[in-house]
Amino acid sequence: MRMLEHVYLIPLIPLVASFIILLAAPEDPHSPMPLVGIAAIGWCLIQSVAIFYGAVIGSIHIPYQMDWSWFSFGATIGGKPFLYDMPIGVLIDGAAVVMLVVVCLVSFLVQVYSLGYMHGDPHFKRYYAYLSFFTAAMLGLVVSSNLLVTFCCWELVGFSSYILIGFWFERAEPAYAAKKAFITTKLGDLGLYVALLLIFSLVGSFQIPQIAQFVAQGYMPAGAATAIGLGLLCGAAGKSAQFPLFIWLPDAMEGPTPVSALIHAATMVAAGIYLVAKCYFIYAASPIAMFAVAWAGALTALLAATMAVVCYDIKRVLAFSTVSQLGFMMCALGCWGYTAGLFHLTTHAAFKALLFLCAGSVIHAVHTNDMRQMGNLSKKMPFTALATFVGTCAITGIPFLSGWYSKDMILEQVYEYDPHLFFILALSAVLTAFYMFRLVFLTFTGTERDLERYRHAHESPWTMTVPLGILAALSIFSGAYLSHNHLFERLVHFDPPAGLMPRMNVAPPGLGGIVFAAVACAILFSYRLYGRHDFRLAEDLKRRLAPVFNLLERRYYLDDSFLALVDLGDRTAKMAFWIDSEVIDRIFVDGWDLLAQLAAQLGQLFDALFIDRMVDETGGLSVSVGGALRWLIRRGMIQEYLLWTAAVLSTLAFLIAWR
Amino acid sequence: MQNLGLLAPEIALSLLGLGLMLADILAPAKSSKLLYHFAWVAAAVALALIARGLSVSGGLPLPVSGGLWVVDPMSQFFKLAVLLSVIMTVMLCLEYGQLPPAQAGTFCALLIFSTVGMMLLVSATDMLLVFVALELISISSFVLTGFERRNRKSNEGAIKYFLFGAFSSAIMVYGISLYYGATGTTRLVDPQSAGLWLPALQTKSPVFTLAMLFILLGFGFKAAMAPMHFWVPDAYEGAPLPVAAFLSVAPKIATIGVLARVYMVLVPAASLGFTTLLALLAMLTMTVGNTVALFQDNVKRLLAYSSIAQAGYILIGIVAGTALGIQGVLLYSLVYVAMNLGAFAVVQAVGDNGSRDGLGSYELAAFDGLAQRSLSLALFMTAFLLSLAGLPPLAGFIGKFYLFAAALSAGRSASGGISPAVFYGLAVVGVLNSVVSVYYYMKIAYHMFFLPANSGKGERLPSKDGGPLPAALHAGPYLYGCLAVALAGVLYFGIYPDPLIANVQLSVPHLP
Repeated sequence: MRMLEHVYLIPLIPLVASFIILLAAPEDPHSPMPLVGIAAIGWCLIQSVAIFYGAVIGSIHIPYQMDWSWFSFGATIGGKPFLYDMPIGVLIDGAAVVMLVVVCLVSFLVQVYSLGYMHGDPHFKRYYAYLSFFTAAMLGLVVSSNLLVTFCCWELVGFSSYILIGFWFERAEPAYAAKKAFITTKLGDLGLYVALLLIFSLVGSFQIPQIAQFVAQGYMPAGAATAIGLGLLCGAAGKSAQFPLFIWLPDAMEGPTPVSALIHAATMVAAGIYLVAKCYFIYAASPIAMFAVAWAGALTALLAATMAVVCYDIKRVLAFSTVSQLGFMMCALGCWGYTAGLFHLTTHAAFKALLFLCAGSVIHAVHTNDMRQMGNLSKKMPFTALATFVGTCAITGIPFLSGWYSKDMILEQVYEYDPHLFFILALSAVLTAFYMFRLVFLTFTGTERDLERYRHAHESPWTMTVPLGILAALSIFSGAYLSHNHLFERLVHFDPPAGLMPRMNVAPPGLGGIVFAAVACAILFSYRLYGRHDFRLAEDLKRRLAPVFNLLERRYYLDDSFLALVDLGDRTAKMAFWIDSEVIDRIFVDGWDLLAQLAAQLGQLFDALFIDRMVDETGGLSVSVGGALRWLIRRGMIQEYLLWTAAVLSTLAFLIAWR
Repeated sequence: MQNLGLLAPEIALSLLGLGLMLADILAPAKSSKLLYHFAWVAAAVALALIARGLSVSGGLPLPVSGGLWVVDPMSQFFKLAVLLSVIMTVMLCLEYGQLPPAQAGTFCALLIFSTVGMMLLVSATDMLLVFVALELISISSFVLTGFERRNRKSNEGAIKYFLFGAFSSAIMVYGISLYYGATGTTRLVDPQSAGLWLPALQTKSPVFTLAMLFILLGFGFKAAMAPMHFWVPDAYEGAPLPVAAFLSVAPKIATIGVLARVYMVLVPAASLGFTTLLALLAMLTMTVGNTVALFQDNVKRLLAYSSIAQAGYILIGIVAGTALGIQGVLLYSLVYVAMNLGAFAVVQAVGDNGSRDGLGSYELAAFDGLAQRSLSLALFMTAFLLSLAGLPPLAGFIGKFYLFAAALSAGRSASGGISPAVFYGLAVVGVLNSVVSVYYYMKIAYHMFFLPANSGKGERLPSKDGGPLPAALHAGPYLYGCLAVALAGVLYFGIYPDPLIANVQLSVPHLP
């Protein structure tokens, strides 16, 4: 099988599947059409894994590039004609290989899981069409070699996110959340758009290899690289929910939980990270942009982690956790940790999808998101509880689970680059341990706080538990597998150009041990607060630290300021509209109308008094002339005819002779 | 003698005319239609001979024969036009019911002789030949006009025509005598060099100028130019309809031909100081024709005034005096044959039919509701009227456009003491007159399409209220053939005038 040569099929198959699902059958809560989508993504998964396997054993050579001509257009630059060629194509490097597997795997599992979770939904079929469409757009984003196509897919991914967050649009909150997510990410896309324009105006191409070559040969001025890097970061911050644009992600949890797992945990929010990685050569050329990436990531990691501590909505805790983890990745990228960032992306996809699907399983059972109404659920749904525990351990960084490998790698890398960032991230890691175990304790242990809900709770069907099992296994083993013999590093690495080596601090041995010790303390503290049957200490703490709690619950007032910003924009638009309709229109539109009417009146007057008069007079004149001439010959007397003729003749002769 | 072959068409036509008179004696009265067929075949033979001559000479200038006459593309063009109109006239006669069958041969012979006169006229370069040809036309025409002997109108028209003709002949002969007195010859070209002898002429001498004025007015009589137009409405109204159609077309364009030859080529009007005079006459002719036509209730009289106005338009080309002017004159003459004969044909279908079933006459009221009685005739008539008014995409528009353009271009290049205002004014008056003419042409269309049909006695026939529809109007095959040919010309040359323009342009450089 020539899997790599036909890699372009990977985005196209789900696209076709989505249209088939959407158009080929009537809406039906028990429609069999989802099997089409699952079959399509199943094939994509097989192909992706085959490519991954080939890359691992070295039977295929990466990076692989293949371009087809798309369109070309002529332009005149500085008086010289120039033909822009715009190919469309695929570029498969190590990062893309890994991303393909991640996206296809998570998408496949989520689609299987959704068979149970969404069963009986009135828009069951449409849901699968949307999922397939999202998958197609995401895969297109991954494989494209052309930044313009990447941008198109980027927007399509955003659009899919919009329709999936607002999937239950009959309710107000999902509709609002969808709008918020879309508009906020659009704000970031503005920067991305500017960056793309800058790239094209400088390089004259959207092809990533050409841009990379352009940068490598030193044609890219440092200022431009910084501007492009910041623009790309802006787009990535919107999509990957980085500071200060992360406000949309917690609200996006209004969508169906499998969607949250797929889009808002594993794949789409990783697109920003992936974009930065894809354009890493630009950041390599701009220390300022690199610095911005690192600090944006670190800040996001810390802020999100703190907010997760006080949250009671199970999905929002996971959402803040996602934001925080994305901050880890971003920060790693900003510290020359290309491999570390993408490694964490890969492992995070597995355990965060697992956690979300577990949360979905819980919500499916108790029909609420609020952890205060849960408790002691491990009795009712032991498998889910076990899977959640595995996921929590992985994200916390318990040794030899997948999160431990990647987080350790990041912390080490960051310490080498900048110890300040290391401390921020370490603090975030400790907080992560605290709030994740808080989630586990609140949900699965202690006493049942809502007996009604507790009684109805049950373990989920196999379509939901099997994906949980697979993801749990991956959360345990993927880190060890990928770091064995530096497998991931061989696959995914970035060679910094000569002379641009980052400054190095040597990480002290035992750094990981110290961090783990802190994490263990945090887990114990969490157990002390939430693991027992009474929460007096937690309540006490909350009362004493009320201002801090309020600040965190209000999300640092970022939402409010953002909403104020939107409101300001709204007011400005309203005022502009008022000025337009009440002032500009009155003067320059209605005024012209009056003027035109006046002119028309004048014209009509002129017409009636002069032109029409002239026409009438011409007609009248012809009639009078005709009447006069007719009178001359009215009687039909030949003598008179001859007399007139003779008279004219004589006159003419006289005139001629006289001359 | 070797040039006598150039006269072959005229000779052949004259002999056939004599043969017609002979056949008239031999043929029985009831088969008189045969004589009409003989007549158009004779004209067609002459037409073929001319066409053959043109194709043999291949468009080269033909030699001048002894100074009496000239055979060149322009003369042949006019001969073709005249012969075409005579053939169409005979077609109309075949359908016309008022001619006495016993005299059919005489009628046809007169028609043919008149045609011979026209053919000689357009070739003539000698004043005496011009006069003889003109008289041949005139005297035949007088008789033809009075051919309906039982019809008082016909007799009245013939008498008026004759008296007026005699008067203008006298003027012309007087002019010719003055010409002879001033130059010592009746020739218009130099017999030795076979070219112009204008430099030798005393163009500025008053006698010569007077002579040319009288000759001009003599021509004006046949071309129905104001102030020699008085006879036209009376003669046309009285004449049998085919004769009126013939008179409105053939002698007019033949005279235009000789006018163009004499006053544009041989003795240019500009060299006589006649430009302003001719322009005034053209304006007068147009204005008289168009404004008086506004009042006419009789379609024959209306078309008579219309034909006066049309002559005025053609005069614009002669006033311009340029190559473009000659082209315009030739172009418009041929187009005029088609549209005017077509219009008269429809009038015959309406009016002559009426005399059979008592429904129609030549009054305007007879055209009421023609569209109901025969839609095809109404549409034919509309096309011809629109062409006469000069509306695109019909041939009349192309012709008028050419004439007005000639006046404007002459105004642009005006020199020698002639004010450009003369030409510009002429063009403006021409356009204004075209506008006025639309009124009375469309008045006929109004009667045809928008009024209900009425009986001959002035009662409205019931048409829409369940009563019987007015009798449908039928015309014979020859008339329809005539109409079809005319319409084809009007449409074809209106939409695709290039071949006609190309031929017209070819004939100009060969003028002596």
